[in-house]
Amino acid sequence: MVSFLVRRAATLAVTLLVVSVLAFLIPYAGEGDPARKILRARVNDPALDPAQVEALTEELGLDRPLWQQYLDWLSNAITGDFGYSYTSRTPVEELVIPALGVSISLALAALLLALVFALPLGTWAATARGGKVDNAITFVSQSSVSAPEYWVGPVLILIFARYLGWLPSGGWDGPAYIIMPAVALALRPLGYFTQVTRAAMSDVLSSPYFTAARSRGLSYPQTLTRHGLRNSMLPVMTLFSFWFAGLLGGSVVIEVIFNIPGMGRLLYTAVLNNDVPVIQGAMMWILTLAVVINTATDLLYGVLNPSIRVASHA
Amino acid sequence: MPDTLTKPSPPPQRPTSLRSAQPHRPNVLSMLLRGARGRSRTFNVGVVMLVTILVILLLTPWLAPYDPATQDLTNRLAGPSSEHWLGTDHLGRDVLSRLMWGGRFSVTIAAITLVICAVTGIVIGALAARRGGWLDELVMRTVDVLICFPDVVIALFLIAIFGTGYGTLIAALTITGWTPFARLMRGLALEINAKEYVEAAEILGSPKAYIVFRHLIPNAIRPVLAMGFLRFGHKLITVGALSYLGLGVQPPDSDWGAMLLDAQPYMERAPFLGLLPGFAIFVTALSVTMIGQGIDIKKTRRKRAQAPEPPPGVQTQLNVGEAL
Repeated sequence: MVSFLVRRAATLAVTLLVVSVLAFLIPYAGEGDPARKILRARVNDPALDPAQVEALTEELGLDRPLWQQYLDWLSNAITGDFGYSYTSRTPVEELVIPALGVSISLALAALLLALVFALPLGTWAATARGGKVDNAITFVSQSSVSAPEYWVGPVLILIFARYLGWLPSGGWDGPAYIIMPAVALALRPLGYFTQVTRAAMSDVLSSPYFTAARSRGLSYPQTLTRHGLRNSMLPVMTLFSFWFAGLLGGSVVIEVIFNIPGMGRLLYTAVLNNDVPVIQGAMMWILTLAVVINTATDLLYGVLNPSIRVASHA
Repeated sequence: MPDTLTKPSPPPQRPTSLRSAQPHRPNVLSMLLRGARGRSRTFNVGVVMLVTILVILLLTPWLAPYDPATQDLTNRLAGPSSEHWLGTDHLGRDVLSRLMWGGRFSVTIAAITLVICAVTGIVIGALAARRGGWLDELVMRTVDVLICFPDVVIALFLIAIFGTGYGTLIAALTITGWTPFARLMRGLALEINAKEYVEAAEILGSPKAYIVFRHLIPNAIRPVLAMGFLRFGHKLITVGALSYLGLGVQPPDSDWGAMLLDAQPYMERAPFLGLLPGFAIFVTALSVTMIGQGIDIKKTRRKRAQAPEPPPGVQTQLNVGEAL
């Protein structure tokens, strides 16, 4: 277990180091002098004053060796200080933290919604394996997996906001605003969750301990919930955290469509505006969280599943 | 007599041909060509859908009724008619023709990315399994990390550095996309390498290439193919997402995602316009998903019947969540 922990921690550290180097290098990539690029992004004026360029190079220490600049940047980044946004002139962390909160609530809402439907559907399909119900549920999950959220989202807006007027078409101002984006985001994970639940549940249903429990006199629903759900939860939870990590920055499209001030939209607008400190800050936060969440899941999985624990000793 | 020796558990079907003497040899070509008999209905429907789509896209230069770029500003946002079957867009361009030409971009980019991902992943995964040791450790840790990075974020990252373009697009989708293939291939290679017949072949002094082509590839190809089909839908959707954000396919080229973006302001006046490209992505993604699962389901059944339990931590089957 200890070597497992050490290995995962080392992986985490190396990953973050590599990502930080890449994030740091963003303004240096491509042609041209970084000072010029920064100025251009700041003032949005192609004609630059050479004196200004000089002053900025001096100010940011851009004439120093690259590794010195990197260490400087990194020591600030570790404390969460990524500098100021070029466009809004606010500290990056003041943009990132609220956006992160928004993205977390959106992702949780979507994934819980998916889970609430996926667990019963997957179980149902597993118990009716090979039958009409199973085929129907499989088809629904395949369809939901194939539905692009940037198609579902606008369709939902059209129906529920424009025609019916039940829900707001965009923005982020209360519970009503979370419904449509959450539904649109939930569709694809819903399909995956359903299929994983079905697969795990089928395994359980054909396992000896299931038969044993049944023969001990437990009713079918009892056996399903006590043995079935508990054993099939593990793969579903892994997938849940996988999606959770992915949606923290990956729900760009939905956030843009529904005008939600989340992480994805923050990164997207920063890329469009070439707002380097925000790109760096958002990147580091998103990827760090993704790696941390997944490492934590792996550890949890190891704790919950003895066979992995044993394997890690070998 | 020797026939019984090489057949430990005689499969009842196809008893005559020499090839069936080895139980673990699915032949992909014959599998695809032998017709629909004995295959799941989903698989068949998926194949019919995909083939139809591909034929239409291939024949687009001859089938498309109009030039996709010809504007007719007097006839903007028109509904379906006998002249324009699916109506016209905000610049009076024929929607059907644009759908067909756009699909060529969407599908081609997704396919190119997928092939690059698959080949990279397969080679790296097989190498990791073969060499073991630090290389295996390095590869698997890298996979662990990259697999959890959201690909749209990676794409935004690369676009921030290199700007938009087909190269950036394909690179961005490849960085994270090879990982599931590598993980699958590593598991398969470990499993196949441990088989008695591979050991036997090695003892008999068969060259490595023989083992690779005779045992590794035939045994690995079905799950890898399933994975490929399943990932294709994902790729198609991601390419569309980036185009929808204006960061994928750039004008004057246009794909389904870019068409959705164009249609956005006119959703109320011409809902058709915004529904069709998304529907095209949906149907294409659905067809490959159905095919992929058709292949996968058959394989899983086979595995359950014949294979012993794999060692823990080694993936020999598709991990549904990641593959899909």
